[in-house]
Amino acid sequence: MVNRLSTIQEQNTKIEQLIRDKALKLLKEDEVDAIIGYSSGTIPFKTCPIIIRSEEDVDKLIWNNFCAMNLAKYLVPLIPTLKDEEGKNLRVGIIAKGCVGRALIHLAAEKQLDLKKIKMIGIPCNGIINRSQLLRELQQEEILEASISDDEIILKGRNFQKKFPIKEYLNELCKKCEVKSPPKIPDLVEACVGECQEISAIEQDFEDVSEFESKTSEERWEYIKELLSPCIRCYACREACPMCYCSLCFVDQKLPRWFGKTTELSETIVFHLVRAMHLAGRCVACGACSSVCPMGIDLHLITRKLEQIVKERFDFTSGLDPQIAPPMHQFKMEDKQEFILEEE
Amino acid sequence: MKKKILLKEQIKKFYEKLRENYNFYGPIEENGNIVFSKILDPEDIILNYYNSKIPPKSVILPQKEILFEYEKKGDEIEIEEPENIEEKNIIFGIRPCDAHSFYLLKNFFEYGEYEDTLFTRKRKNTTLIGIGCNTPRQTCFCTSLGGHPFKKEDMDIFLVDLGEKYLVKSISKKGEEILNQISWLSDATKSDIQKAEKLSKTAEELISTEIDIEKAISILKNNFNHPIWKEISENCIGCGSCAFLCPTCHCFDVIDEEDHYNNRGKRIRIWDTCQFTLYTLETSGHNPRPSKIERCRNRILHKFSYYPSNYDLIGCVGCGRCINWCPANNDLRIILKKINKIDKKEESIVA
Repeated sequence: MVNRLSTIQEQNTKIEQLIRDKALKLLKEDEVDAIIGYSSGTIPFKTCPIIIRSEEDVDKLIWNNFCAMNLAKYLVPLIPTLKDEEGKNLRVGIIAKGCVGRALIHLAAEKQLDLKKIKMIGIPCNGIINRSQLLRELQQEEILEASISDDEIILKGRNFQKKFPIKEYLNELCKKCEVKSPPKIPDLVEACVGECQEISAIEQDFEDVSEFESKTSEERWEYIKELLSPCIRCYACREACPMCYCSLCFVDQKLPRWFGKTTELSETIVFHLVRAMHLAGRCVACGACSSVCPMGIDLHLITRKLEQIVKERFDFTSGLDPQIAPPMHQFKMEDKQEFILEEE
Repeated sequence: MKKKILLKEQIKKFYEKLRENYNFYGPIEENGNIVFSKILDPEDIILNYYNSKIPPKSVILPQKEILFEYEKKGDEIEIEEPENIEEKNIIFGIRPCDAHSFYLLKNFFEYGEYEDTLFTRKRKNTTLIGIGCNTPRQTCFCTSLGGHPFKKEDMDIFLVDLGEKYLVKSISKKGEEILNQISWLSDATKSDIQKAEKLSKTAEELISTEIDIEKAISILKNNFNHPIWKEISENCIGCGSCAFLCPTCHCFDVIDEEDHYNNRGKRIRIWDTCQFTLYTLETSGHNPRPSKIERCRNRILHKFSYYPSNYDLIGCVGCGRCINWCPANNDLRIILKKINKIDKKEESIVA
């Protein structure tokens, strides 16, 4: 177990070692053909997802608080590179922070993934840094180097050096995260390598959501409008989302054209809100959608609201057990229907 | 024309004078991002910026643009042209790389038999007043692409930031005409000019990336089926952030918005990108670029192979936006360096 009392920098070193040890073992013992992980980025705040295939490349795998992407995404679409010559799926190992593990489990619950072919290298994630927030605080200063020292992030520019406490600059969803290591898959313990945890339910308050809800509907509408107005419809949020795996997204449907594709605010809002609806009971709160947004749009409140509704209505948390059908995949007689029918 | 001096405190006066006859665009901050927008208050102009998030191409090639509106009157259809085409624009504060992108875009839009007159007319009505980059970003590599942080040839008026003031030089006739309207600019001294020269040199030295583009262009001619495309597209997630933030990407889709009740409609163009699944999807259902491999390849080849062979130009200006905002950190500089490492012997010539 990684010592919880150590500094974030020390935790990162230990997590990185855990990743390399497990990856090396899996490749050496021919348990997997490839491993998906993070490698060093070429610019500050960034890491680069990498697929390694040989023992020599194990040292390219890293861990730090910039590992924002949800690697489960690389297992969803038909990646030709993850197939052998005959087109058969490779046996893949994947570095799994809590939300990557949850995504894999949820994808298995939706029958999109065969977990038997996967080795989940579980790691106890210590949170992802909110790049947009820091860039905004530094305004137009260029950051040449971002590094982690003890519990601080150190940013260096041409004429400055600034320190920020990491804990205060994590993604909002990371601050609320209750599943830091991936859940142990009940009937498939052999797929869980590294640090995974037994977890069957999460109890959490949704104070952050209730604060937003206490606002008037006009205020909430203003918030949504301001939040989404910078959107350029590049769909980085959708493409980074492990749950957005439709071969044809509703917004790309042309015959009939259901939704507008322009950057007119009404059309942008419709895209984001309909996408949110599609993620109810499916979103694993990884925050990748916000981390990848080039315009710095932070969708966390929408995510949290979805989580809350699903928890309160269906007592369900996504990505904990591949055997439990998600609420939108099943119908129960006791499901509340007051939004369709008036209850007697 | 003699070089002039514009004090930073005179920007307001400069703006007030020019906005009488021009739509005055400049860099402002909007929701934490620098974008080029029509200036309503000169205080909003951000002068100490590196570069905008969205490139200034958006001024004349906006993400959503009405090509024309129409009205059905019995059997006749009346077409209404957009009104703003003949309006005169100034883009103030544009960087040399982005100014060069206007030249690349012009070559594309006026190419061949069917000139895109909407774009070319707007371009003709637009004057570029640019500023040299005293401090290029870490991700900048314009010097590898024939550019320079102080390249002034693509602008109409070129400014150099001397701290409290700008050194002003008209480059084109259009620029000279504008400067003639502003009588109160003082003359630059010898030391101002020397300082500008020094800044230019320092800026050039700050660019640390060096890529042999000519080599890449020649390698790309022959490697359409090389395994490198599989390698470089491996971690791409298929979003459009590289293309939508690119100053030279210009692909668009055309949609009709109909208003049946009023017998009216609009034809609109919106940005599109070869990174999207729908981009080359054919009516038959066949998609010649079915995966990320072909899509990533197209983006690179369009800039570094098709542009050189069609227009004898390079389709990239080295602004580094795609490098800064790629979710997967799929760094264009690394891609180009990998391409340059392809061994001549390995080349896979397309049959």
